[in-house]
Amino acid sequence: MSENEPFIGIDLGTTNSVVATVIDGVPRVIASRTGQTLTPSIVAVARNGKRLVGHMAKRQAITNAENTAYAVKRFIGRRWGAPEVEDARKVLPYELVPGPEGVDIRAMLGGRAFAIPEVSALVLAELKADAESFFGRRVTKAVITVPAYFNDGQRKATKDAGRIAGLEVVRIINEPTSAALAYGFGKQMEKKVVVFDLGGGTFDVSVLDVGKSVYDVIAVGGDTYLGGEDFDRRIIDWLVFSFAQEHQAIDLRQDKMALQRLRDAAERAKIELSEGRQSAIHLPFLASGPEGKAALHLDRQLTREKLEDLTQDLVDRAIGVTDRTLRDAGVRTGQIGEVLLVGGMTRMPRVQQAVKAFFGREPSRGVHPEEVVALGAAIQAHALLHPQKGKEVLLLDVTPQNLGIMVVGGYFATIIPRNTTVPTSQSHLFTTVQDNQTTVRIAVLQGASDKAVENELLGEFVLEGIRPAHRGEVEIEVTFDISADGIVGVSARDSATGTRQSITVTATSGLTEAEMRRILEENLDELLTRRQVGDFERLRDRTQAVIAEIEALSPAVKDALARSRFGKDAVIRAEEVVARARAATEARDLQQMIAVEEQLDRALQLFKGLAAGTPPGEKGA
Amino acid sequence: MATVAELLDLGVKAYTRGDSAEAERIWLQAIDLDPQNERVRAYLRQVRGERPGKPAGAAPAPPPHPEPAFAPSPWDAGPAASATVVVIDEGAGLDLGAVDEKSDIRPLVADQRPPARPPPPGDVATWMEGARELFALGDFSGSLEMIERILRVDPTHAEARAYLRQNESTLVAMYESKLGPLSARPRLAIHAEEVMWLNLDHRAGFLLAQIDGSVSYDDLFALSGLPRLDTARILASLVAEGVIR
Repeated sequence: MSENEPFIGIDLGTTNSVVATVIDGVPRVIASRTGQTLTPSIVAVARNGKRLVGHMAKRQAITNAENTAYAVKRFIGRRWGAPEVEDARKVLPYELVPGPEGVDIRAMLGGRAFAIPEVSALVLAELKADAESFFGRRVTKAVITVPAYFNDGQRKATKDAGRIAGLEVVRIINEPTSAALAYGFGKQMEKKVVVFDLGGGTFDVSVLDVGKSVYDVIAVGGDTYLGGEDFDRRIIDWLVFSFAQEHQAIDLRQDKMALQRLRDAAERAKIELSEGRQSAIHLPFLASGPEGKAALHLDRQLTREKLEDLTQDLVDRAIGVTDRTLRDAGVRTGQIGEVLLVGGMTRMPRVQQAVKAFFGREPSRGVHPEEVVALGAAIQAHALLHPQKGKEVLLLDVTPQNLGIMVVGGYFATIIPRNTTVPTSQSHLFTTVQDNQTTVRIAVLQGASDKAVENELLGEFVLEGIRPAHRGEVEIEVTFDISADGIVGVSARDSATGTRQSITVTATSGLTEAEMRRILEENLDELLTRRQVGDFERLRDRTQAVIAEIEALSPAVKDALARSRFGKDAVIRAEEVVARARAATEARDLQQMIAVEEQLDRALQLFKGLAAGTPPGEKGA
Repeated sequence: MATVAELLDLGVKAYTRGDSAEAERIWLQAIDLDPQNERVRAYLRQVRGERPGKPAGAAPAPPPHPEPAFAPSPWDAGPAASATVVVIDEGAGLDLGAVDEKSDIRPLVADQRPPARPPPPGDVATWMEGARELFALGDFSGSLEMIERILRVDPTHAEARAYLRQNESTLVAMYESKLGPLSARPRLAIHAEEVMWLNLDHRAGFLLAQIDGSVSYDDLFALSGLPRLDTARILASLVAEGVIR
């Protein structure tokens, strides 16, 4: 790697994503090419076939809901049929289908099935392009953040998304760790820190032990269906209800265009109310009037008090989850040395007040809550790619879920409980359940349920050659080892005979290597097509400008020809060329457009000459 | 030594930064390594300009359209161009209510005349005749109205469908020509408070709400969710009324 090769940290969020870097030792967010610091994690295929990412996709997310994928982070690395996926399918406007092997999940957009990492890759590619525009050269290395509870498969799928986007993911780090890193950067901290992350679609709360440059996640909790969009929905419902009261029960939710505008306006008002006391919601021509009458406007004033009234239960829910997480971790609020606010929703004053009341202390506000995770990732990328002696940042992670095996009765026996710091190694003794049992099946599982079937199967193997004996007499030692890289090794050993079997569980994202290759090849095609589209758009704009000039000159040319003996067919010729140029543009036929471009230029030059009084054949050519 | 996959990638990078010669050189190296690689061959065909307007594997170009027998003119010395059959996406069909063309701009010439057929009997024949006449007069909206009536009673009427496509494509081209470059990013030309004094329908209200100086006309066509003709008509009308610029 060259000394100055740029690198980025990416917060790949459920609702919004952010990219950051470190410049001259200072972490900073990279704004998009249109000047925004947040990029909606939304991908769509528009009705005209155009692929939209980020803000453009968000602007049509309701009017083209069936072809707009949002919140795919909920499905990344998950298996088809998983409860989280089945629950989401009931309410999602876009279609999810199983992958070719029936294992992973695909999103149907514009008639094509996109693997979930592919969708995330489009968002990452957008952020990469923003970074490349900022640096003025290629960017290939990134640190990406994921929720602390993501399992190995979800982390692997996030890495795959990076690879599809053309990024080498040098490290995946936990979001709360990243946030703490941004706060702790350059500081000498040594305390327990709570990261209260209320984002657009999810709520996560984490407890970390922060030592000198050591970040140890000791507990995670959250609600994957609580976030800023729920607050927006309350405002939308309030607007819809009041509009219906005023306009004879017109239900704006039935009108996709109206609903799209309501959603945009609700989000805007919510953001304004973090600063001001009231916000004007003004939506002219929002809905068609009854019986062909004029279109109707919506005008409302939303006050901060009203917003707080509408969303109090959502704030209470977040605090309730926080309380449970701390109890699970055996941590009292008095032991917390710092509370970090992360996510756009924590800018809401009512949320800040509730957090303060719960913890009995002011939460930290030093870093922008929507940018803090990306900034931490950038700091980690900087530390990894430009290591300095004595300044290493050590990130200790924990197991996101319980790890264990299936035991008799279909139950799940935990061997390594969730929130155990890795690397770790733990063993348990088991015994046979039948007389003269010589084999035992070890099913390695991950999850929170007591029932094995409700947890995720990571792998299985059979231990053979067990000494024949009465049931309960044989001791089998099962050992789980987790390396610092998160690779899980499981072994089972007959204590008497020493017979041993083991497996290594490798995370899978659901995409096979062959599929990865296919997607990467398609990306190359897409790059070429994009260049052609760029060529087409440039030529189309130029063609249209020339046609407009020709048409503007046409009356003067006709006058000039009426007085001339020459070039009577000039106008007909020009009309023919213009028609061809239009047809070629309409058919998006770049070859034809190039072919007719020169004729169009000649026609324009001729028209200019004729309009100035010069007949063709004398000077116009 | 680089693999075929790496050479493919390097070639694409060269091509996308505009260095077609370098791309060709790299892909030639790749074809030496794997002469049967279809992808490399397709890229080479593309970079050599065998079909610059379409991605690899696209359908062949339509047959050339015979040139009319005009006397040679001094400005027509360039390479001969062949006319292309206009094929447009019909979308969800034409919204007659949206077609309210009052412009006196006339296209210079129609690209193709629909095939002449014996008119069907009754009203359909009368409407078809009217559609042809209005088309010839340049009243494409009026012609469309007639066509729509025909298609309501006979959705498979071939001549009517040909006129429908031609009318729509001409109208779209006319409206788009009023917008200027489609990569331009329009913005409001009046004060935001004045918007409510306009006479708009809710669809125009939706499109207007998207216009903030950061979205191009091309993007508006993609995100409007409306047929292209409707979007073009609304935008052209907003430009003509000085609401956006």
